[in-house]
Amino acid sequence: MERKTIESTLADTLLTSPSSAHFDYTPTAMMPDVKVIKIGGQSILDRGKAAVFPVLDELVLAKDQYKLLLCCGGGTRARHIYSVAADLELPTGVLAALGGYVPRQNARMVQMLLAKHGGIYIMNDDFEKLPLYFRLGCIPIMTGMPPFGYWEKAGENGRIPANRTDAGVFLTAEVLGAKRAIFIKDEDGLYETDPKKNPKAKHIPRISVDELIERNLDDLIVERVVLEYLKNARFCTELQIVNGMKPGQITAALAGEDVGTLIVRE
Amino acid sequence: MAKLITGDGRTHIESTLMRESLVDRRVVAQTNSEREHTILPDVTLVGIGGQSIFDRGREAVLPLVAEIAAVRGKYKLVIGVGGGTRVRHTISIAYDLGIPQGGVAQLVGAMEEANAVFLNALLAKHGSMVMPREHFWELPLYLESHMIPITISIPPYHFWEPPSGSPLPAHGSDFGLFQYAEVLGMKRVIFVKDEIGLYDKDPKRHKDAKHIPRTTLGALLADMPEELILDRMLFEAWRTARHVQRVQIVSGLERGMLTRALAGEDVGTVIEKGAH
Repeated sequence: MERKTIESTLADTLLTSPSSAHFDYTPTAMMPDVKVIKIGGQSILDRGKAAVFPVLDELVLAKDQYKLLLCCGGGTRARHIYSVAADLELPTGVLAALGGYVPRQNARMVQMLLAKHGGIYIMNDDFEKLPLYFRLGCIPIMTGMPPFGYWEKAGENGRIPANRTDAGVFLTAEVLGAKRAIFIKDEDGLYETDPKKNPKAKHIPRISVDELIERNLDDLIVERVVLEYLKNARFCTELQIVNGMKPGQITAALAGEDVGTLIVRE
Repeated sequence: MAKLITGDGRTHIESTLMRESLVDRRVVAQTNSEREHTILPDVTLVGIGGQSIFDRGREAVLPLVAEIAAVRGKYKLVIGVGGGTRVRHTISIAYDLGIPQGGVAQLVGAMEEANAVFLNALLAKHGSMVMPREHFWELPLYLESHMIPITISIPPYHFWEPPSGSPLPAHGSDFGLFQYAEVLGMKRVIFVKDEIGLYDKDPKRHKDAKHIPRTTLGALLADMPEELILDRMLFEAWRTARHVQRVQIVSGLERGMLTRALAGEDVGTVIEKGAH
């Protein structure tokens, strides 16, 4: 009972062996011009109209100039879910799956607010229709969460899923072949210490991934896994964190200006 | 009832994680605890290899079908199927075309679906069913009725497969099945392949490959064979996993080996989590 194999360069390899990876591989950047943008959950959406409206207004002004893909963060409701689930001692994968409901809600709300400007809600499954949506002048809006859900690995140190909306947005940019992902938060980016707790905290306008990892900070402005991914990324090597509470920052970022904080792989 | 808290411009729901940064190690550590709730601890996950079993055709598949049918009702089982040569071919063509890594991860699951249907066609009269992998909340219904659910193994990372150092997606079928078992609190996973377990190198290529009948996760992580019959990522994930205690690899080409493994015998290769 021989194995019926189809001839291919990989036919007999063990896909698990690191040495099986010597192809001539030049991946295609699917849609590198798309501006992949995260709208922060706790930082923007949980602030309500005071923060959300100005952010959306700025994005709408840019919609005819750029292809905007808006990805939403979670926020306080996700934290509440994680809190309750952790108290019930449920596995990380359950937290990840349940936390996923919140960014989808946020994306739906943003869609309703942007509907008259072409905002549409898309699911992970609709991802392949992006070219159609952009051709029609739509603004696709989706969850920032990756679809790992119950398949999120158990946490090293606690139950919070490691891959949340920062990771999801980075991975979206990476698969589309975009060089930079823009994160709209409520601060000018990275600081030496938490500016919400220390008003004199020093701003960091640009930092390399290696340096950020080396600093081994107890807290980070971006999910830790994203730094590891940046090291292996083929396309998305830059994250830009901008302050959505300051009018003009988003517009500048879309124009390619290095406002806020740039985290780059050197 | 949890209160809504305002005052810093944001509306929070009162919770222990309110306002906290979820990246803060100290905050994350607060969500940890000794125990973890197990959702379906008495279920055994059995993975059936794509290339190792399905691609060999009826001579390999039919005896296994008979073995599984014979244990129906005796154990609560979920069966996961791999993809096999069609997956390898897909990846081969995709890489040649320059499909991005996430795109490759998106493609491979489809080739497992066919094996799920093949197996189900053969097992249906013995009470099997194809179950979309996300439908595990229906498992109590199926298992109480002595059904044998069959699912595909690859995890739904899809376009969002994280970039790895190599062109190949790291989160493969064996990892997917392992994770399925782990999140549901299962204690053991049995992989049915075409070798009697783990060897120190690929026995198909090296006549002097040594069989490893028993080992621990710790021992493997310290000294991982370069050529592995299981996804490397499975062992990575197992490091932080809490529930799966035992991963067993048996040969589906040896009649009765799966049955013996299900009965708890240490056939093939047994990898225990051990005191890690």
